[in-house]
Amino acid sequence: MPYHEFECSKCIPERKKHAVVKGPGEDLTHALPLGYLNTIPGSISERGCAYCGAKHVIGTPMKDVIHLSHGPVGCTYDTWQTKRYTSDNDNFQLKYTFASDVKEKHIVFGAEKVLKQNIIEAFKAFPEIKRMTIYQTCATALIGDDVDAIADEVMEEMPDVDIFVCNSPGFAGPSQSGGHHKINIAWIKKKVGTVEPKITGDYVINYVGEYNIQGDQEVMIDYFNRMGVQVLSTFTGNGSYDDLRAMHGAHLNVLECARSAEYICNELKVKYGIPRLDIEGFGFEPLSASLRKIGLFFGIEDRAQTIIDEETARWKPELDWYKERLKGKKVCLWPGGSKLWHWANVLHEEMGVDIVSVYTKFGHQGDMEKGIARCEVGALAFDDPNELEGLEAMMTLKPDIIFTGKRPGEVAKKIRVPYLNAHAYHNGPYKGYEGWVRFARDIYNAIYSPIHQLSNLDISNDEISIGTGFQTAKMLSDVNLSDEVVSSATLRQYTGKYDSVSDLRKKTYPEFKK
Amino acid sequence: MENLKEKVAQLEDYIMKKCLWQFHSRAWDRKTQNENILKKATQLLCDEPVELETPADRCYWADALSLTEGFRSRYEWLTAMSKEDIKLLMQGLKERIDFVTITGSLNAELTDPRY
Ligand code: SF4
Repeated sequence: MPYHEFECSKCIPERKKHAVVKGPGEDLTHALPLGYLNTIPGSISERGCAYCGAKHVIGTPMKDVIHLSHGPVGCTYDTWQTKRYTSDNDNFQLKYTFASDVKEKHIVFGAEKVLKQNIIEAFKAFPEIKRMTIYQTCATALIGDDVDAIADEVMEEMPDVDIFVCNSPGFAGPSQSGGHHKINIAWIKKKVGTVEPKITGDYVINYVGEYNIQGDQEVMIDYFNRMGVQVLSTFTGNGSYDDLRAMHGAHLNVLECARSAEYICNELKVKYGIPRLDIEGFGFEPLSASLRKIGLFFGIEDRAQTIIDEETARWKPELDWYKERLKGKKVCLWPGGSKLWHWANVLHEEMGVDIVSVYTKFGHQGDMEKGIARCEVGALAFDDPNELEGLEAMMTLKPDIIFTGKRPGEVAKKIRVPYLNAHAYHNGPYKGYEGWVRFARDIYNAIYSPIHQLSNLDISNDEISIGTGFQTAKMLSDVNLSDEVVSSATLRQYTGKYDSVSDLRKKTYPEFKK
Repeated sequence: MENLKEKVAQLEDYIMKKCLWQFHSRAWDRKTQNENILKKATQLLCDEPVELETPADRCYWADALSLTEGFRSRYEWLTAMSKEDIKLLMQGLKERIDFVTITGSLNAELTDPRY
């Protein structure tokens, strides 16, 4: 597995150790990109800061909480509403963001007073919300504000409120991943064990590393409910603050995004003896195996099997319609941290696409191990990319589509490469059986949208045909398919609703006898 | 011998592409995961009793059973093997997985003493 040097990064020779090409007959012990290191000066990184990782990724998906950033308003604003972690309480945590609005004068004279005023003001403005998280930022950490002391003072004065302080300023790590780590450890140290768990079922799990992007969590909770498994808490999407204080009461931790939340699972294992089971909600086969494993753990695998059979029968013909049309399409799988390994193999197997590159903005070497292990020979894997490297990779690999975040996604569009939002999704949720079909549908729509035929034309250079104006995605996708596939009676396009989540909130579930 | 190596490589490829349990973040966790899951998988493949006393045991067993089901559905040659040969095969697989994920791993975080 040779290390790969980008032409554009020859002037930053240290970058070479951050990229490898998966070679034939080679394994992870031959080469592994460096990871989770400070960005090399001169490389314009796509990363976020440690405050963003703590607040925006993990803290704020908690739904019944005032999330207050102690710092200038810019830190808060820039980590607001760019990720769709919805919730079933009318999206309180998405609609509102709070900041102590620190200015220059507070840097000189201290910002504790203004913080206290803001905490009290926020609780008064939303009297039904009794929980708060406060996030430290660079400026207020550097002047040494004692946020814990202020939080304690307020909790003494307002005994019905509870406050969690997350001390993860922007500089507390090489990337947002430093913030994931800090908030995991702070939560278990300060909050887990402070509320008595409300156990209502025989089989109790914490669902960890799940952020309810466009309803992912609610889709998965539906499966757990149908199995008669009680989800004591979700860390943290659509999760409740007090439920998360009771995490110690679960029988099993079911972990999805290990990159952002394995720390708390590992600590819960050491401290409370709760085992950790890594699962996957993406893709028919990995999801089925995951539900089955949870079923096996509790001895209720028959219940899992019923769901697997029902859902597969309902959605597989739709997934396969898209598979026929996506086969052989080249994908750059460029997410933040964990999707490179969640998706690398299952996209290839279940949608027939070829992953030509994986990258991670903030993953660690462990994520690269998983990602490289799961992609096919020839893929280019690189860590902490910069914009020029991304462009160079797209020019040489010529992908049909990339899955990435909004910023690099917009860059890709400029060179006529379609992109799907891997972080916040286009038309998710993407978890669950139906969700996986929605993802396939979005990929199909992105690749075959007739707009790409037009946008690829250079009107100053190319001959423009004016006789063939009308095209549809289907005309483009079906041109080389056999009649058997095109007129198949079993395969069909997505038939779900525009909104696949709201109905789940109204569902009732059977009671299971012990 | 070549034959055994080739079979180990196929099982290794399955684990690398389909499983996550072998990639916990620290060397000591990878060691226990590999040891327990592959031990239970061997017992399952050889129709031997599997210990299910503790929650941890059940968790290893769930991963092991899922693994053996995957093996059985993909590698028909497994059914024709004797129990002794399966044990040899699984021992070779364990050595290989330990090497790729622990002893030969280039992951510098494996030895970090804290999570
Ligand atoms: S790096 Fe510091 S100042 Fe910038 S957004 Fe993060 S916390 Fe705020």
